[in-house]
Amino acid sequence: MKKEQLLSIVIYTLTTLIGAVAFLYPFWQPALPQTNIMGQAHANDAALILTLLVGICFVVLLLEVQGQSISTKLIALLGILVSINTILRFAEVATPTPGGLSPIFFLIVLTGYVYGSRVGFLMGALTLFVSALITGTVGPWLPYQMFTAGWVGMSAPLCRPTVWLLKGEGKWFEVAVLAIFGAFWGLVYGIIMNIWFWPFATGPTSQYWEPGITLVETLERYAVFYLATSLIWDAMRSVGNIIFILAFGLPTLRALRRFHKRFTFDYQPIYEPLPPISIKETV
Amino acid sequence: MITFNHVSYTYPDASQPALRQINLHLPEGEFTLVVGPSGAGKSTLLRCINGLVPHFSGGTIKGSISVNSLDPIQATPQVMSRHVGFVFQDPEAQFVVDRVEDEIAFALENAAMPPQEMRIRVEEVLDLLDLAALRQRRLDTLSGGERQRVAIAAALAFRPQVLVLDEPTSQLDPKSAEDVLQALVRLNSDLGLTILLAEHRLERVLPFVDRIVYLPSNGSEVISGPPREILPRIELNPPLVKLAQALNWEPLPLTIKEGRRLSQQWSEGKTFSPKQEVPTSQPDKPYLQAHNVEILYDNQPVVRGVDLKLWPGEIVALMGRNGAGKTTLLKSLVGLIRPKRGQITVANQDVAKSDVAQICRYVGYLPQDPNALLFADTVLDELLITLRNHGIQAGGSAGAISPQELLERLGLADKAHLYPRDLSTGERQRVALGAIMVTRPGALLLDEPTRGLDYLAKRRLLELLKSWRDDGMAILLVTHDVELAAAAADRVLLMSQGEVIANGTPGNVLGSSPLFAPQIARLFPNTGWLSVNDVLESLM
Amino acid sequence: MIHPVAWLAWVSAMLVTLSMTRNPLYLGLILVWIAFVTIAIRPLASATSPIPISPVRFALVVVTLSTVFNGITVHVGRTVLFRLPGFLPILGGIITLEALAFGFLNGVVLSGIFAAFTVLNRVLPIQAIVRLIPQAFYPVAVVVSIAVSFVPATLHQFQQIRQAQAVRGHRVRGLRDWLPLIVPLLVGGLERALQLAEAMTARGFASTDTQRANSVQAQGTIIAGLILLLGGWLLRLMWGQALLGLTVLLTGVGLIGGTVWLAGRQVPRTVYRPQPWARNDWSVVLGAGVTAMTFLFSWPGLDRSSIFYYPYPTLVWPGFHPILAVATLGLLVPGLLLLRQRNDTIGRVLRRMVAERA
Repeated sequence: MKKEQLLSIVIYTLTTLIGAVAFLYPFWQPALPQTNIMGQAHANDAALILTLLVGICFVVLLLEVQGQSISTKLIALLGILVSINTILRFAEVATPTPGGLSPIFFLIVLTGYVYGSRVGFLMGALTLFVSALITGTVGPWLPYQMFTAGWVGMSAPLCRPTVWLLKGEGKWFEVAVLAIFGAFWGLVYGIIMNIWFWPFATGPTSQYWEPGITLVETLERYAVFYLATSLIWDAMRSVGNIIFILAFGLPTLRALRRFHKRFTFDYQPIYEPLPPISIKETV
Repeated sequence: MITFNHVSYTYPDASQPALRQINLHLPEGEFTLVVGPSGAGKSTLLRCINGLVPHFSGGTIKGSISVNSLDPIQATPQVMSRHVGFVFQDPEAQFVVDRVEDEIAFALENAAMPPQEMRIRVEEVLDLLDLAALRQRRLDTLSGGERQRVAIAAALAFRPQVLVLDEPTSQLDPKSAEDVLQALVRLNSDLGLTILLAEHRLERVLPFVDRIVYLPSNGSEVISGPPREILPRIELNPPLVKLAQALNWEPLPLTIKEGRRLSQQWSEGKTFSPKQEVPTSQPDKPYLQAHNVEILYDNQPVVRGVDLKLWPGEIVALMGRNGAGKTTLLKSLVGLIRPKRGQITVANQDVAKSDVAQICRYVGYLPQDPNALLFADTVLDELLITLRNHGIQAGGSAGAISPQELLERLGLADKAHLYPRDLSTGERQRVALGAIMVTRPGALLLDEPTRGLDYLAKRRLLELLKSWRDDGMAILLVTHDVELAAAAADRVLLMSQGEVIANGTPGNVLGSSPLFAPQIARLFPNTGWLSVNDVLESLM
Repeated sequence: MIHPVAWLAWVSAMLVTLSMTRNPLYLGLILVWIAFVTIAIRPLASATSPIPISPVRFALVVVTLSTVFNGITVHVGRTVLFRLPGFLPILGGIITLEALAFGFLNGVVLSGIFAAFTVLNRVLPIQAIVRLIPQAFYPVAVVVSIAVSFVPATLHQFQQIRQAQAVRGHRVRGLRDWLPLIVPLLVGGLERALQLAEAMTARGFASTDTQRANSVQAQGTIIAGLILLLGGWLLRLMWGQALLGLTVLLTGVGLIGGTVWLAGRQVPRTVYRPQPWARNDWSVVLGAGVTAMTFLFSWPGLDRSSIFYYPYPTLVWPGFHPILAVATLGLLVPGLLLLRQRNDTIGRVLRRMVAERA
């Protein structure tokens, strides 16, 4: 394996690790031996450091995904697809949709599935970014949304081996696999976004006032928080993803596949030159 | 100067070469027109000049090309962009940023030009194309013609020596097309810029052109020379030239002014009885009626008090300036726009009481962009989908035509299983026509059907419309194409500022109008002649 | 006109300061400053946001929700208000004033953050935000530009498709009926993307070559930075090594930031009309920096304990240190500058009117 590829993998692993550890810190942090009074100060800046860590991970991931070069065709492709997805998000924000139902994920999943991780990641992250720009809702939650949505698109190619093994290409089976994938991320997206939100809403209260609280307790409290606030929301998103992927999946896949070759080929033109003519030769 | 030496090119996965052994030499500073039927390879030829073929499109290329002593095949499009500017057909798909000035600067920023230099270039290009007043405007608020001028400006920012344009006016209305072409003429005459233009509408540009390059449909044996030498050898001629050829006028006139001189000479001593227009007898009941229709947009009246009747078995052309309300009126006839006031009946049904889908069973409507209709996998499927939408069985149920028959009529029988979006513009339009005609409506409304079509496709469309008219269909078309109206229409309606200001035979309405008269009418005023056939018939 | 980067510094300082404290007095002050700035930017506010959520409405909703939620799920504190039956899951237990107060304060913090971002959204037009994207991510910035520019065109195309499908008998009755609307939009968009790519190529846009940014060297530095990041953070948390952990963390951040910056320098690109950096911008950054630094770090001789106000276990009156209150004024700077500009303009107009009358 080439050195660059190896280093790429290391970078992806590290960012995932740091991202996961940072996202999950409300769970394992209280279980730490924490007895000094400075705890409270650290509690507050812990949220800041979390933001910093996740932000840096995102930046590094973005740099890695950009990679050596992105061809002009892919840039144009992403630009147009993101604008289409932004309009879908428009529709989601402007109309009263049940819970977290969101039409943007089915395109993110399908695009990542057909065109690969890089395109999937950028599709997810930039959909959230551009729709925030256009609706004027840039906020502190945006980097988290971008990161998570990027992961949705980036992990979509993981469905390929399953479909390939069961020879389901082009049939409803392929769409079913993608629908399950979409359902999974519908829930997990909400869970992750909530983890970001949770310490803000409830504050690092319980952990510090009751030192030594165990991991199980923390999980319980989070489960409570989640149930009360967001389970139904995320279930709606999951269900929405399933419905959209099942309803629109096959024709969308066909359309994306039709263009796949035209956008991603790196055809080396075959050139058979002739000696240059003299200027006197005219037709 | 530009030289092609035995150039052959095949697209990837194509069975036939797109260009075969092209040999061509174009001197510097000339305004060259590239003509040829659709699919002949004009676009491919033009893209060879800045290296898009083969670098962007892939494929196999043989032979050598030289553009001002650069080899576009060896040099990449990036290098060639400094020497060759390229403008494309679609004004909606060329821009990256949303403001005029920033768009022009985009390419310069990308080339890491120093800001001082960038400002100079942007200013000079804004002045060249007369865009200074529009510099801060958002691109989506501009008209098609203005957008194409911005595209030209962006292409000229690098001060290239050659400007290549691939059908830049085909999506534009005549006024905008005129603006763009005039800008090109200025650029060529004032700056000496070498210009290569692929264009279907020859009339406007012929007088200014130094050279015509003609590509026949098999992509080989290119002929190139001054207009008067090439025009007699090709078929795609404006009526003026056709007539001159038929009557052996010398020298071949390229403008109405030259034509008038010759036509006056020729008419001396001859008397003609003005053409008799046989008024067509109209059946009693109009198929489509609109009474006192008033439509508002943004609380401004766009259509005011219009009365319209459309009888079976006639073709009516609806013409007028841009913004006169033609498309709006047309849309209201099928219920896409609801009028504020007025009554519209189609086949004895009140349009206001039904939804669009119901109305369109009886009236076919072809939108300006037929691509918006097409989404199925095969041509046949497009027709079947419409039938399914209306709940009609696809097998000879009363009132519906069999899809196969319709495809044959449209000349698409051999393409029934192809992907519609891969077909040419004319073929796609016919697929769209099939999709809306499969319910056998009694009327057909077309919005600017000849945009982007070459002469051949136009002729085919004309024949199709005439055959449907003869079968008793009522046809209304909105068009800017005067020659089409003169050739096809039984009646012409003129609209201005939301009102119908003229309604009569083509001879009456178009014949003496300074704006809308076809070329033949301008040559022979007061004779009622509108087409070449009219003139030739009067000789017999 | 305040430079977008200065605004960014202001919002970051806002974020930092608001996250650090739960002291209602300081929070109140900061909210007043935000309100002031919001009013000061009104003439500048670009009418971009079509779906604005008023920060006041957001505040009301969030504060209420947060107070109630914390009040009924956390059963800690000495000032008991009433007691919910114990058999209720989660909710059973004492409802204390302290819990309500803590929920309230958290809600206030969130509202403040939201209000600060609302200022940013209103005062910066979309292009300004896109320009903030670092040079190293130029391809991403181009994608964003294209996406933003094509939103109106895509909407327009959607309208056309809707009409075209209606004309062939299509009715939207169920979910499946959206398919004939989405597929042409997608296919049309993909075709357009190809045309756009061609146009971009013809204008000299080559696939951006960020090769040096991803060389083995750069990647190695990034990995080192990431490890330092993780290490420093763990040091702080697991082994309580605050200062050492912070240093290691910041070194990691520096390494990565440096690599990104260097990568940006490799991208050959200039800016057509760069927004100049003026004295005003320095003032804003300075003010923001002073506030953030005061609240983040400990300074000798300054008693910062009032920052870490905590309603538990007993609700007491919050502490107050005048120097800290003055430090928050740093966040007011943009408002003052804009107001002075406005007054200057008004003054100029008035004087001109007077001169014309004379």
